[in-house]
Amino acid sequence: MSQDFYNTSITPFSGIIIKLCRAYTSSQEDFEDYYQEVCLQIWRSKDNFRAESEWSTWVYRISLNVCLTLLKKKKNNTQHFVSDSMPYLDTVDNHAFSDESLNLLYDAIRQLSEIDRAIIMLYLEEKSYKEIADIIGTNYNNIGVRVQRIKSRLKKLLDGKIN
Amino acid sequence: MERSIENIWKEGFLKSDALIAPKINDLYAQKSIHIIDKFTRMFRINLKAIVVFSFVFLLISYLVGIPIMGIIFFVTLMVLVVINRSLLKSLETIDKGENSYEYLKKFNHWINKQVEINKRIAMFLYPISFMSIILGLWFKDAEGMFLGERLVNKIMIQFPEIDLLFGIPTLGIAIVLLILGLLAFFSGRIYMWDLNLVYGRVFNKMKELMSDLETLNN
Repeated sequence: MSQDFYNTSITPFSGIIIKLCRAYTSSQEDFEDYYQEVCLQIWRSKDNFRAESEWSTWVYRISLNVCLTLLKKKKNNTQHFVSDSMPYLDTVDNHAFSDESLNLLYDAIRQLSEIDRAIIMLYLEEKSYKEIADIIGTNYNNIGVRVQRIKSRLKKLLDGKIN
Repeated sequence: MERSIENIWKEGFLKSDALIAPKINDLYAQKSIHIIDKFTRMFRINLKAIVVFSFVFLLISYLVGIPIMGIIFFVTLMVLVVINRSLLKSLETIDKGENSYEYLKKFNHWINKQVEINKRIAMFLYPISFMSIILGLWFKDAEGMFLGERLVNKIMIQFPEIDLLFGIPTLGIAIVLLILGLLAFFSGRIYMWDLNLVYGRVFNKMKELMSDLETLNN
């Protein structure tokens, strides 16, 4: 990948990628692998970009699709899939943010199903329900209801932890 | 007052350390860990290995005097290669930039299609492989006559009363047919068991994701 492509087409949107990858990973090492993979797939798929949507929306799609279907083997050789059935415990080194509230919010987000994680991340990024539906490919009418449900679940998970 | 999740999100990312991108080096030379790329790599390696093996086996079968086994193996494996090559091409057309539902649907469809096709192939592949071994050995030259005929002659001397069908002991035919039946019956299951062992988590995850998205679409 040319440095130019990275600087002009990925760096301005790295925030999107970082936020999404953090929601689907449980350690700094996994996060770096996911981030790298998303960048690689953006580079590989760039010729398929047809400007029907904005570049940022397309980056969201690639990032989300890669995170949803990434299979990573941990160093200890146990196959690992970040799963909603596996409560997330983020105790890891520099994977955590310096803002404790944000860490708690991410912990709660990681306990959601993978699709719910995607929806709430897009919602928090101030995407409209229509944009969320476009990125995920679902019925626009159901997004609002789902967002409210996810927010209630997050509130319960965060109850009493954040002032 | 309790902070809203929207505020926690916004304020959290205002901190300077929150969005530091990891350093990446020589990205394009990195080996992709994505599941589609893994399938693609695995398929390519498998197909190449099958082609090399079938040629080597064909050559060896001629050298050791069992060309029938080599030819049947070669033809069967080549059919397997051609079918899986077309599966590989369809996998490579999946666009990761589509919306998640379409992307997952296409990937899921590809997984189901390749499992179904390879399960069916396995049902024929194992019995054909077994039959090629039997035929190869049967028609192997053994001092001027086929090894199978020589074996039947020996059996006839020891058990002159034995039933024959087309000059072959009926019991032998029955055993071969039984093994063929068992192989055909269990090969699909063996294939699925083997596949689930390696990719069970992927299949389960795909099912969960698709079911969640279907719920949202209804």
